[in-house]
Amino acid sequence: MNKKETLEKLKSIVKPFVKNEEAFQNITEDTDFINDLQINSANLVDIVLDTEEAFDIEIDNQSMENMLTIKAALEIIETKLAAKE
Amino acid sequence: MIGNDIVDLALARKESNWKRKGFLDKIFTLQEQLLINSSKNKEIMIWTLWSRKEAAFKIYNRITGIRKYNPIQIECLNLEIDVVVYENQIFYTRTQMELEYVYSEAVIKQNDFDKIIAIKRPFTINKRNGCPSYLEGDCSLEKPLSITHHGRFEKIITII
Repeated sequence: MNKKETLEKLKSIVKPFVKNEEAFQNITEDTDFINDLQINSANLVDIVLDTEEAFDIEIDNQSMENMLTIKAALEIIETKLAAKE
Repeated sequence: MIGNDIVDLALARKESNWKRKGFLDKIFTLQEQLLINSSKNKEIMIWTLWSRKEAAFKIYNRITGIRKYNPIQIECLNLEIDVVVYENQIFYTRTQMELEYVYSEAVIKQNDFDKIIAIKRPFTINKRNGCPSYLEGDCSLEKPLSITHHGRFEKIITII
Protein backbone atom coordinates (compact mmCIF):
# COMPACT_ATOMS: atom_id res chain seq x y z
CA MET A 1 0.00 0.00 0.00
CA ASN A 2 1.48 3.38 -0.94
CA LYS A 3 1.21 6.52 1.14
CA LYS A 4 -1.66 7.94 -0.88
CA GLU A 5 -3.73 4.81 -0.43
CA THR A 6 -2.96 4.77 3.29
CA LEU A 7 -4.03 8.39 3.59
CA GLU A 8 -7.29 7.73 1.73
CA LYS A 9 -8.06 4.79 3.99
CA LEU A 10 -7.24 6.86 7.09
CA LYS A 11 -9.46 9.69 5.85
CA SER A 12 -12.41 7.33 5.49
CA ILE A 13 -11.85 6.17 9.08
CA VAL A 14 -11.66 9.72 10.43
CA LYS A 15 -14.54 11.20 8.41
CA PRO A 16 -17.50 10.08 10.60
CA PHE A 17 -16.00 11.86 13.63
CA VAL A 18 -15.12 15.15 11.96
CA LYS A 19 -16.86 18.28 13.28
CA ASN A 20 -15.13 20.77 11.00
CA GLU A 21 -15.91 19.79 7.41
CA GLU A 22 -13.92 22.64 5.92
CA ALA A 23 -10.75 21.53 7.67
CA PHE A 24 -11.44 18.01 6.47
CA GLN A 25 -11.73 19.18 2.85
CA ASN A 26 -8.37 20.93 3.21
CA ILE A 27 -6.67 18.09 5.02
CA THR A 28 -2.84 17.97 5.05
CA GLU A 29 -0.29 15.96 7.01
CA ASP A 30 -0.21 18.71 9.61
CA THR A 31 -3.94 18.53 10.26
CA ASP A 32 -4.61 17.99 13.97
CA PHE A 33 -7.49 15.69 14.88
CA ILE A 34 -8.63 17.73 17.87
CA ASN A 35 -7.60 21.32 17.08
CA ASP A 36 -8.38 21.33 13.35
CA LEU A 37 -10.96 18.62 12.70
CA GLN A 38 -12.51 19.29 16.13
CA ILE A 39 -12.92 15.62 16.83
CA ASN A 40 -14.10 14.86 20.34
CA SER A 41 -11.21 13.45 22.35
CA ALA A 42 -13.26 10.40 23.41
CA ASN A 43 -13.70 9.59 19.70
CA LEU A 44 -9.92 9.42 19.20
CA VAL A 45 -10.18 5.99 20.80
CA ASP A 46 -12.65 4.98 18.09
CA ILE A 47 -10.23 6.20 15.43
CA VAL A 48 -7.45 4.15 17.02
CA LEU A 49 -9.68 1.05 17.18
CA ASP A 50 -10.98 1.53 13.63
CA THR A 51 -7.41 2.00 12.37
CA GLU A 52 -6.33 -1.21 14.10
CA GLU A 53 -9.19 -3.06 12.43
CA ALA A 54 -8.81 -1.56 8.97
CA PHE A 55 -5.06 -2.15 8.74
CA ASP A 56 -4.96 -5.28 10.88
CA ILE A 57 -2.36 -3.82 13.23
CA GLU A 58 -2.09 -3.24 16.96
CA ILE A 59 -1.52 0.28 18.20
CA ASP A 60 0.12 0.12 21.62
CA ASN A 61 -0.30 2.82 24.24
CA GLN A 62 3.07 4.33 23.47
CA SER A 63 2.09 4.87 19.83
CA MET A 64 -1.40 6.05 20.67
CA GLU A 65 0.13 8.82 22.79
CA ASN A 66 1.31 10.62 19.66
CA MET A 67 -1.66 9.96 17.45
CA LEU A 68 -2.86 13.55 17.37
CA THR A 69 -2.21 14.46 13.74
CA ILE A 70 -2.62 12.90 10.30
CA LYS A 71 1.16 12.80 9.99
CA ALA A 72 1.63 10.94 13.28
CA ALA A 73 -1.14 8.49 12.40
CA LEU A 74 0.41 7.75 8.99
CA GLU A 75 3.79 7.16 10.58
CA ILE A 76 2.34 4.78 13.15
CA ILE A 77 0.43 2.84 10.49
CA GLU A 78 3.50 2.58 8.28
CA THR A 79 5.73 1.44 11.15
CA LYS A 80 3.23 -1.17 12.30
CA LEU A 81 2.64 -2.44 8.76
CA ALA A 82 6.39 -2.71 8.14
CA ALA A 83 6.81 -4.67 11.38
CA LYS A 84 4.26 -7.22 10.13
CA GLU A 85 6.18 -8.02 6.96
CA MET B 1 -3.76 25.47 38.42
CA ILE B 2 -7.20 24.38 37.29
CA GLY B 3 -8.75 22.08 34.72
CA ASN B 4 -12.31 21.08 33.92
CA ASP B 5 -14.22 18.77 31.62
CA ILE B 6 -17.88 18.20 30.88
CA VAL B 7 -19.69 15.32 29.19
CA ASP B 8 -23.14 15.85 27.69
CA LEU B 9 -24.65 12.43 28.36
CA ALA B 10 -27.12 12.58 25.46
CA LEU B 11 -24.34 13.40 23.01
CA ALA B 12 -21.99 10.82 24.55
CA ARG B 13 -24.68 8.17 24.07
CA LYS B 14 -24.91 9.16 20.43
CA GLU B 15 -21.19 9.53 19.74
CA SER B 16 -19.47 6.96 21.89
CA ASN B 17 -20.15 3.28 22.05
CA TRP B 18 -18.19 2.35 25.17
CA LYS B 19 -19.42 -1.21 24.84
CA ARG B 20 -17.41 -1.75 21.68
CA LYS B 21 -14.54 -4.21 21.94
CA GLY B 22 -11.30 -2.61 23.09
CA PHE B 23 -12.80 0.76 24.02
CA LEU B 24 -12.46 0.45 27.80
CA ASP B 25 -9.06 -1.28 27.51
CA LYS B 26 -7.59 1.69 25.64
CA ILE B 27 -8.75 4.26 28.17
CA PHE B 28 -9.00 2.67 31.59
CA THR B 29 -6.51 0.81 33.77
CA LEU B 30 -7.47 -2.60 35.15
CA GLN B 31 -8.20 -1.01 38.51
CA GLU B 32 -10.51 1.51 36.89
CA GLN B 33 -12.24 -1.20 34.88
CA LEU B 34 -12.92 -3.05 38.13
CA LEU B 35 -14.49 0.11 39.48
CA ILE B 36 -16.64 0.45 36.33
CA ASN B 37 -17.72 -3.16 36.28
CA SER B 38 -18.72 -3.14 39.93
CA SER B 39 -20.68 0.07 39.72
CA LYS B 40 -24.45 0.19 39.46
CA ASN B 41 -24.39 2.74 36.68
CA LYS B 42 -21.48 1.91 34.42
CA GLU B 43 -22.16 4.75 32.03
CA ILE B 44 -21.93 7.41 34.75
CA MET B 45 -18.81 5.80 36.20
CA ILE B 46 -17.14 5.76 32.78
CA TRP B 47 -17.76 9.46 32.13
CA THR B 48 -16.87 10.38 35.72
CA LEU B 49 -13.45 8.75 35.38
CA TRP B 50 -13.01 10.07 31.84
CA SER B 51 -13.81 13.67 32.76
CA ARG B 52 -11.44 13.51 35.75
CA LYS B 53 -8.64 12.33 33.51
CA GLU B 54 -9.35 15.08 31.01
CA ALA B 55 -9.56 17.78 33.69
CA ALA B 56 -6.27 16.63 35.26
CA PHE B 57 -4.60 16.46 31.86
CA LYS B 58 -5.50 20.09 31.16
CA ILE B 59 -3.39 21.07 34.18
CA TYR B 60 -0.52 18.87 33.05
CA ASN B 61 -0.73 20.43 29.59
CA ARG B 62 -0.64 23.95 31.04
CA ILE B 63 2.40 23.19 33.20
CA THR B 64 4.45 21.31 30.63
CA GLY B 65 3.14 22.53 27.28
CA ILE B 66 3.09 18.89 26.22
CA ARG B 67 0.17 17.45 24.26
CA LYS B 68 -0.33 13.72 24.30
CA TYR B 69 -3.15 11.26 24.04
CA ASN B 70 -2.68 8.70 26.76
CA PRO B 71 -5.77 8.52 28.93
CA ILE B 72 -4.76 5.12 30.32
CA GLN B 73 -1.65 6.64 31.94
CA ILE B 74 -3.73 9.12 33.91
CA GLU B 75 -5.12 7.01 36.69
CA CYS B 76 -8.02 7.72 38.99
CA LEU B 77 -6.79 6.00 42.12
CA ASN B 78 -9.79 5.94 44.28
CA LEU B 79 -13.22 7.46 44.11
CA GLU B 80 -13.48 8.22 47.82
CA ILE B 81 -10.41 10.41 47.96
CA ASP B 82 -10.84 11.66 44.38
CA VAL B 83 -7.18 11.59 43.48
CA VAL B 84 -5.81 11.32 39.96
CA VAL B 85 -2.16 10.49 39.35
CA TYR B 86 -0.16 11.19 36.23
CA GLU B 87 3.62 11.01 35.92
CA ASN B 88 3.97 11.10 39.73
CA GLN B 89 1.92 14.27 40.00
CA ILE B 90 -1.17 14.15 42.17
CA PHE B 91 -4.31 15.96 41.08
CA TYR B 92 -7.38 16.42 43.24
CA THR B 93 -10.71 16.18 41.49
CA ARG B 94 -14.37 16.62 42.21
CA THR B 95 -17.30 15.59 40.05
CA GLN B 96 -20.86 16.75 39.69
CA MET B 97 -23.16 14.02 38.40
CA GLU B 98 -26.38 15.39 37.00
CA LEU B 99 -29.17 13.83 34.96
CA GLU B 100 -27.94 15.32 31.72
CA TYR B 101 -24.23 15.78 32.28
CA VAL B 102 -21.15 14.77 34.22
CA TYR B 103 -18.75 17.56 35.13
CA SER B 104 -15.32 17.35 36.76
CA GLU B 105 -12.82 19.88 38.03
CA ALA B 106 -9.18 19.24 38.90
CA VAL B 107 -6.67 21.18 41.01
CA ILE B 108 -3.18 20.57 42.33
CA LYS B 109 -3.67 22.15 45.75
CA GLN B 110 -6.81 20.93 47.42
CA ASN B 111 -7.74 24.34 48.83
CA ASP B 112 -7.83 25.76 45.31
CA PHE B 113 -11.29 24.20 45.04
CA ASP B 114 -12.55 27.08 47.21
CA LYS B 115 -11.08 29.62 44.80
CA ILE B 116 -12.65 28.32 41.61
CA ILE B 117 -15.36 30.48 40.13
CA ALA B 118 -17.50 29.87 37.07
CA ILE B 119 -17.67 32.84 34.70
CA LYS B 120 -19.40 33.79 31.47
CA ARG B 121 -17.37 33.55 28.27
CA PRO B 122 -15.01 36.57 28.33
CA PHE B 123 -15.01 38.91 25.35
CA THR B 124 -11.43 38.11 24.49
CA ILE B 125 -9.74 34.83 25.21
CA ASN B 126 -5.98 34.62 24.78
CA LYS B 127 -4.23 31.39 24.08
CA ARG B 128 -0.72 30.71 25.26
CA ASN B 129 0.57 27.39 23.94
CA GLY B 130 -3.04 26.44 23.48
CA CYS B 131 -3.98 27.21 27.10
CA PRO B 132 -6.70 29.83 27.48
CA SER B 133 -6.50 32.95 29.66
CA TYR B 134 -8.16 36.35 29.80
CA LEU B 135 -7.55 39.84 31.08
CA GLU B 136 -9.67 40.56 34.11
CA GLY B 137 -11.49 43.91 34.20
CA ASP B 138 -9.17 46.88 33.89
CA CYS B 139 -6.49 45.60 36.21
CA SER B 140 -4.88 43.98 33.15
CA LEU B 141 -4.02 40.91 35.13
CA GLU B 142 -3.95 37.82 33.00
CA LYS B 143 -5.95 35.03 34.58
CA PRO B 144 -5.97 31.39 33.58
CA LEU B 145 -9.18 29.86 32.26
CA SER B 146 -10.28 26.33 31.80
CA ILE B 147 -12.96 25.90 29.20
CA THR B 148 -14.96 22.80 28.46
CA HIS B 149 -17.67 22.40 25.89
CA HIS B 150 -19.60 19.31 24.89
CA GLY B 151 -22.97 19.21 23.16
CA ARG B 152 -25.42 21.47 24.97
CA PHE B 153 -23.12 22.40 27.82
CA GLU B 154 -20.23 24.76 28.36
CA LYS B 155 -18.39 25.64 31.57
CA ILE B 156 -15.71 28.24 31.93
CA ILE B 157 -13.84 28.56 35.19
CA THR B 158 -11.08 30.72 36.58
CA ILE B 159 -9.38 31.03 39.93
CA ILE B 160 -9.62 34.00 42.30
